[in-house]
Parts: sequence; structure tokens; C-alpha cells
Amino acid sequence: MSGPRRGDDCGSIRFTFDGKELLARPGDTLAAALLANGIGLVARSFKYHRPRGIMAAGVEEPNALVTVGTGGRSEPNTRATDVFVYDGMVARSQNRWPNLAFDVGSVLGLAAKTLPAGFYYKTFFGSAKRWMFYEWFIRRAAGLGDAPSEADPDRFSQRAAFCDVLVVGAGPAGLAAALAAAEAGESVILVEQDSLLTPSLVRDPQELGPAWAQATAVRIRALGGRILLRTTATGYWDDNLITLSERLAEPGEQPPNGTAQRLWHVRAKRVVLATGALERPLAFAHNDRPGVMLSHAVRTYVRRFGVVPGQRVVIATNNDDAYLTAIALRDAGAEVVAVLDTRPAPAGASSGFPVHNDTMPLATKGARHHLREVSARVDGKIVRWQADLLAMSGGFTPVVHLHMQAGGAALNWDEASQSFLPGAARQSVTSIGAAAAADPVGPTPSPENPGKAFIDFQNDVSLGDVDLAWAEGYRSVEHLKRYTTLGMATDQGKTSNMAALGRLAEKQGVAIPEAGLTTFRPPYTPVTMGLLAGRTERDAGAHLRRLALYEVHQAKVPIWQPLGYWKRPRAYPQGTETLAQAALREARGVRQAVGMTDVSTLAKFEVSGPHAAALLELICATTVAKLAVGRGRYTFMLREDGLVFDDGTVWRLGEDRYLLTSSTGGADRMATHISYVRQFLCPQFKVSAVNVQEHYAGIAVAGPQAKAVLAALIGDEPPRHMSTTSATIAGLPVIVLAASYSGERAFEIYVEASQAEPVWAACEAEVIAQGGCLYGMEAMEFLRIEKGHLVVGGEIDGRLTPHELALGGMLNKADGFVGAAGLTRPALTQPGRKQLVGLEALAGTIPEGAMLITAPGQPAEGHVTASGLRVLDGGSIALGQLNDGFARRGELLLASSTTRGQSARVRVVAPHFYDIGGERYRD
Amino acid sequence: MTDLSITQLPAARLNVLEIWSNPLAVLDRFKKAFGPPLPPLGSSLQLLDRQLIRYEPTVWLVEGETTGLAEVLGSDGSLTAIGGGIVRVRLSGAGWRSLLMEGGVFDAESETFAAGCSAATVIDHVNVRLLVESDDACLAYVPLSYAHDMIHFWTVAAQSLV
Repeated sequence: MSGPRRGDDCGSIRFTFDGKELLARPGDTLAAALLANGIGLVARSFKYHRPRGIMAAGVEEPNALVTVGTGGRSEPNTRATDVFVYDGMVARSQNRWPNLAFDVGSVLGLAAKTLPAGFYYKTFFGSAKRWMFYEWFIRRAAGLGDAPSEADPDRFSQRAAFCDVLVVGAGPAGLAAALAAAEAGESVILVEQDSLLTPSLVRDPQELGPAWAQATAVRIRALGGRILLRTTATGYWDDNLITLSERLAEPGEQPPNGTAQRLWHVRAKRVVLATGALERPLAFAHNDRPGVMLSHAVRTYVRRFGVVPGQRVVIATNNDDAYLTAIALRDAGAEVVAVLDTRPAPAGASSGFPVHNDTMPLATKGARHHLREVSARVDGKIVRWQADLLAMSGGFTPVVHLHMQAGGAALNWDEASQSFLPGAARQSVTSIGAAAAADPVGPTPSPENPGKAFIDFQNDVSLGDVDLAWAEGYRSVEHLKRYTTLGMATDQGKTSNMAALGRLAEKQGVAIPEAGLTTFRPPYTPVTMGLLAGRTERDAGAHLRRLALYEVHQAKVPIWQPLGYWKRPRAYPQGTETLAQAALREARGVRQAVGMTDVSTLAKFEVSGPHAAALLELICATTVAKLAVGRGRYTFMLREDGLVFDDGTVWRLGEDRYLLTSSTGGADRMATHISYVRQFLCPQFKVSAVNVQEHYAGIAVAGPQAKAVLAALIGDEPPRHMSTTSATIAGLPVIVLAASYSGERAFEIYVEASQAEPVWAACEAEVIAQGGCLYGMEAMEFLRIEKGHLVVGGEIDGRLTPHELALGGMLNKADGFVGAAGLTRPALTQPGRKQLVGLEALAGTIPEGAMLITAPGQPAEGHVTASGLRVLDGGSIALGQLNDGFARRGELLLASSTTRGQSARVRVVAPHFYDIGGERYRD
Repeated sequence: MTDLSITQLPAARLNVLEIWSNPLAVLDRFKKAFGPPLPPLGSSLQLLDRQLIRYEPTVWLVEGETTGLAEVLGSDGSLTAIGGGIVRVRLSGAGWRSLLMEGGVFDAESETFAAGCSAATVIDHVNVRLLVESDDACLAYVPLSYAHDMIHFWTVAAQSLV
């Protein structure tokens, strides 16, 4: 016996496994290449660190999990049977130390009796403190492979597709179905997770061979069909939406075009599932030893890859299919020393192999992690065969998970094949081929030693564990699964579920269908996290929005601040200035001379038509209709429940034309609200409300010299406070709104965003000429807090009424606005509700977000919404919400932030610290 | 890489035309003024100096000249300028349909989405309006604030289209 071998042609593709340089042929899976190089020991099992080899030849492989690739491309838990070798591939075994052959962790196997199913639940209990102790060990022991510590450098694509027919599986049945649909004029997508079409025809040559498959594929493509190889259907969702995972590069491989994988969202009119069937292992003692393989897999390695996994072979089966493996092995030069068939001897011709009926393996023995001996009870006596390969077949399980995810109403139990077949479907889906029918099988006897008869190889679950769970009272299949971990992890029970169900049914004394089924959750075959959430062209799930003047700001090297979806300048430091120093300088520049800032992100809506004012009086809680042309006013908006959710300004630009501005962060919400009011509350209105947020770039100029700056820019008298005018700056038409968010005389200049740069340049030149400066978000915050202006998301948090924000006097007396009815709710006038207050520190700095308490240990009565300082005079001030705050002016409180570890004594004051009378707005 | 080029076009004059009342009368006035009818939903009309693209039941995007439209609308609708906030990106070459499927949810590969057709859809979380110019080109109207990232997204995505 010499174990697995291949002919003289070892191939020319170089790869390494555990640092050893090896060769592979083109088209080899890693598993095939390892077997071709005589390597049978590939992995260590999860729990007991038992030596494991290669059992399967496809995605159902439970044992041969390896890490492929290096750095950020490293991909743990890759099935060696589902990765194709490429030049330079680096593969490593997992879950072993110091090496695969000598793994210290295998000592756990010696203590297997103390680590049965439910071990965690029985052992790690007690106080939370003890759990903290256990957790360290559990986390060290848990998991297979190591997640990469570096970011994945590759791109992951997501793509949509639509078709008449999606065929999953390009075996003979799937290929034929795809061809039939294409020839019927239907648009077809055919997906196959292997790298080959009809791989089963390579394993089992028939009249319709690979040449037929290639010709059929050519025909399908010629008819407009799309064929995707290395593509797995990962989930079946509502309305015939199927997600596909396409590998554009093998695990760990540098993708040729930068994109490693593509997630397809396919909407199909109908779906054909030709997903085939998976072979089941047999349960007997030490059936997990390297050299024990599935019969189909053995035939695949022989016929497809030219690798003979063993030279002296025992075949164990309960069906006819394994005899094809015997033939394939014999043809390849191996010796089939015994065929153990659980069925009675048939009458008639001999197979030509030494067949023993009514038996199956008792156990295996090995040496140096290789199979050496197989034993079985034949005619009442134990017979032993020297063998280096055991090919087993316990029948076939149709792959029905997509059918069930599609809302399959039922699975039909087929007694002859001992398998579930797809039943009725709720969506437009049909199953064909081996996914819809399975060949009959003979009996599957129970092993004499269930404790070492593994059924879930990946999770080290044996029949003995199932028996133990039953004995300990776990009756439901779902409980059994969770208690034993059977069918979990990357394996998802592909080769184990039927054996476990059979055992459970046996314990329950019922037929298998009555034992119940676990849930068929997607994905059945693992997908990488990168595919679902990997880097595309955005960093945080959505693109950051760029200002029209982004490049202008960037040239000044500002400190950028994410604000909602936007990126805005926070400050423009000079020299070695810190953020705080720069912001204070900028704020003082505004107070003492003039400053300018970019306010393009404000929400803006142009409302026009005969009913424009009527629409705005629904949306805004203040009066609008009485505004004269050329005038504007501060306004705010309520939800139906009467609480303030946004604020802004409204300007009458023409007889029937208004401009409404509102907060940056609430822009999308406001657009939705306006649409709701327009479409549902007043569809009869003759009005158009268009979102012009992006159409206009906005530049705010504020400070005592602002009027002079504007006069120089527009060559005319600037509009008075809360007035508007059209003008020309740098030869471009602009709208000037005389509005302030700083406490100073100020103007907002709106220009078409695509033409904003010359206007900004002209403004900047004039501001600098007047001794002013640019200012960013941080300075703006200082200025607005000092003046007592509100911000959405801070003081306006959707929980306060206009009265509680000291805005009640501005409410439209005529009512009729959205939220007017909600405002009358008695609950909104109950004592103890939060009200807007100002806070000034007696000493120190008021921490932002601090709780307002009367004394340490007392409950919070409010919180600090924004903290700033007196721009010119110094001293910490803040705005906040406080229970019954209006009546508590003069009271001393403690602003305490446990998260910041800071606190300050504060006095409750009015929420205005600067120019309370508004004198600075007047010319 | 498939045959594909991504080109940012100069800023254009774009207006929203919205009809709020008497649509049949407006359609009649439009036909009298310009000849052909206003295009139906998902479609467009190319005139000598302007293009009208219908994206919503009562809304058209007007690219180019607006002379005469105010008279057509009368008191039954309005025009609002939005061109400052939209970047036009031309996707040309055989691969434009495949490119639009990247990060998309709309069937740009459908043969019925032919020259003159339009759509308002979402691509990689961004609201984008599409106008098929020909078998080999499609115009995408992208919000200005997203244009830089979207062009980058398309440029990189195009590299993996084969």
C-alpha cells in the first residue's frame, strides 16, 4: 500500500501546503493536488483535534478545511475540495500546534469522554465572574482558522440581473433545462458552482459527455443565455429573488481585474433547481480517519483528476452506485479487496468483486494518520482487510435547501431512497434531476460502537452524542442541533443531517419524517464576509457627499468633519493651530470683523404655484402667507404629534414662488415630509415643490463688516435683515438672503452649484480685504450656541413642543398646520416635561452631553445638548433640556458626564448669551 | 475590460417641468406649440433645442431651452431650475448596460430599455436618472455631491467587466 498517487505528470503549477512546495495540474482542486502529492492528512477536527483527511470532492467536504492566501486575502475555513490551485497558492492547515502531524491539541481526543455533547452547558456555569474566567479559555479554543488581521485589498462587486429562467446547477439535467428554455426564446441564466460544466459526466462518462456539454453551452450562449461558473446560489428570497456568489478569483488569489467576488441579485420569472444530490457517509467506529472517503468522491478523483486515492480498497455501501467506484478503481489499477454491502446477496450474476452482503464496516484502524485496516463482521466472524482506502456510500440526499428557502410547502419522504424529495412550491420553482429523485438504498445498520461513529465530522458529533442528547431529554430536532452543534458552521449538515434524523427517529420510535426538520437557512454553502460587506468604492456603506466647492476647501487643508452624508470643513487651522485654537480665532473673526463659510448642504426647496403659500402653511408652523415679496422669516416644522422635528427659513422670492430652507441633517426627512403633505394632504393644490438642495451652493458671510462685503460684491445696498434680493456676483446671478445663524448681521448667497467657484473666490477676496477669515463648523457651533440658535439633532430632537423650545409665540394662530391637532394633547402640557435652557459654568468647562443633576447620585433631570464658550469674553456656556426648565432659572445644578469623567457646576439661565435684543442685526 | 468609456459632460441647463392641473389641456397646448406630444412615462422627446424626459407621472426633466414652455404651462404647472446640482455622465460603448447593473436594481439589460427610454433608479445607493441615447450610449444624471464617487465607482467597476 502506498496511499494516494498520481501518474508521472505531476503538473507545473507551484503551490505550498504548510510551507512545503508542491506541484499541481491545471484544473486541480487543492484536495486533488494534495492527494496527488501523496498527502492524506489535511486537517484537525474542531473539538477533539482528530486527524482528518479528504472525504468529499465538492462543497459538502466537512473535514479538509484549510486557510488559503496570505495577508488581507487570507481566507480561513476554505474547503480544499472547493478551491482550484493557482500558481503561487499558499495553503495552510488549521487548528493544530505545533504542526499537523503532531498536534498537542489532540490530547483533547484522549479526554473525549469528559467532553461530550453539551459540555459547555454542563461545565461553564456559575457566577458572571466565573464566566469571565471561562471565557478566556473558550475563546482561545473556539473557532477554526484565524480571521485575517489586515484589510482585504480587493474589491467586491454587487450586481443585479433579470431573466426568464434561472437554472441552478449545470449537470446534465440543468444544462438540458437551460438549453430548452433558451431555445424556447426565454432569457436564461445558468449557474454552476464548479469550474466545469457537467462535472458528473467526467466522473461517470456517458453517451452525452463533455463534448455535448460544451456544444450545449455554446448553443445557450448563442441564444443569449448567460452561463456563470464558480457561482453558487446562496439564498432564495421572496418574489423569485435569488442571490448568487460568483468567484472571479480563487480564495487568496489576486484577482486579475481587482474584483475578487460578485454578489448577484437575480430576479427570475421561474427557477429550475438542478442542484443534484449529496452522498451520505456510513456511521461506524473511526469512520473519520484519513483514507475513509465518500464513494462518489473517490470516483471523481480517479476519473476527473487522475488521482487514485488508495491502492488497496474496501468499498462499503447500501446501494448500487458504489459498484461504479469499484469499477473505476479497478480500471485505474487499484485493488478492490472487499465490497461490504448492507443488502442481502442478490440472485443472479456476480459483480466480479469480492462482495460480502448483509454487512458493513465495524471499525477502521490506522497508523501515522493513515488508514491501515478495515474490519467487518462477515457470517458472524470478524474479518480484517489491510487497506489504505475505504470508499463508503450510504445513499444520496437530494439538495433541497433552495426549494425550502423558496417557501417549499413540504418535503416528501421517499422510503426507498431514505431521503426527502421536493414537494409543492409556493414560488415559481421546480426541481429536476437528482435534486428531485434518488435511487433506492438498502438498510443502514446501527454501528456497534456509536461513540466513535461520527455523523457530523466537522463538529465532531457522533451517534453517541445524539444518544446522549436524547438520554438527557432533548427531544426536538432543533434542541438536538443546538445541544450537540450538529449541522452547524460552514458544513450546515450537508452530510450529517439525515443520519442524525434517522437516529432521532429511531429513538422516538417514529418514522424519519415525523422526527422533524431543522430550518433551511441561507447560506447553505458559506459565503465570505467580504462578499456581503466588503470594500467597494465607499468606505462606510454609502458614499460621502462632496461639496460643490470641495476642491476649493481642500486647497486650504481644512480639518474635515463628516456631517450626515456630507463632509464639511470643521476649521481652517493656520500654522500649528489646534482645532480649538483655529475655531476660536475664526469665531472671533466673525464677531469682530467678518467671516465666510460654506452652507451649501442646507436643505432647500423651491415651492411655486398659486397654492405655494397654502402648502407652506401646512408644512410650517409659522405664518407664511403674510410674507411680502422679498421678505423671509424663521420657521419650524412639526410632526403630526405636535413635536418639532426641523427648522429653517422661508423666503418669498416672487408672487407665487418661495424658497424654504431647513437643516442639513434632516434634508431627506424634510423632502419626504413635503412629498407626504403635497401628495396626500393636499393633492388638489396647484403647487410644485422641488428639491433644489444640490442646485444651489450656499455661502454665508457674517460679521459686523458683512454688509460692507456684500455692498462691494453686489454693487448695491444689501437687503436688510430677513429680506432677500437677486444680484450678480462675479458676473453670475445669485440670490442673497439676509439671514443670520451667528448673532451677527449676515447674508447667505446662493448660486448655481456648478458655477460656485468664481462667486466663492470673489467673496473670499472681499472678506479678506475687510480683515475677515473663513470659518468652519466648529466656529459656527460656538457662534450659534452663544446666540441661542437651535440645531436639529441637538436642541431639536423630536421630543419637544414649540412652547418647550421657547418658540410658542411664533406659532400660526390660525392653526391648520401639520401638528396643530397633536399640540393640543393634554400630555404635552403636563408638568415635568423638558424645556430649553441656557447654562453657564461657575467654573471649568461644561461637558457636552452631560446629565443635569441636583447632586451626585441624584437622577438626571435633563442634559446638555451643546457646549460652547463666550467667544469674546471666555467662560463656558451651554444649551440644554431640563425638566420644567423655564421656571428654574437661577438654580444651581451639576452637569456630570460619567462617560467623559467630567463635571461642572452650572447655573440655569435663559438660552441667549449674546445680543439678546438683536441689535447687531440692525443697520 | 469591455468596451466602455465614462465621460463627464459640461454642466447643462436642466429644469423640472411639473403639471399640477388640466394635464390634457397642457398636452394639447404643447402639441400645438411643438408638434409632437409630451413623452409618456419612461420615455423622452428630442426636439431641436431641448429634450424632455418624463420621470414621474407629473414631472418631466427639460434639458436645454425652455422658451415657450411657460406659455404652454400657463397656470397649470411650473418650471424650476435644477441644473446646478446635477452632473451628466455619458456611459458609452458596448458595456454600458452591464455597467449599470453594477450596484443597480433596474434592468438596464432589457432590450425594451432602448434609445429614447428613461428611468429613475438607484445605483450604489445613489439616485440616478438614466436616458438611453443609443444602442451604444446612455446618459446618467447624477447628483453633484455624488458625482465624483459615482464616476470613480463606474471607472473601477468597468475594469472587472469582461
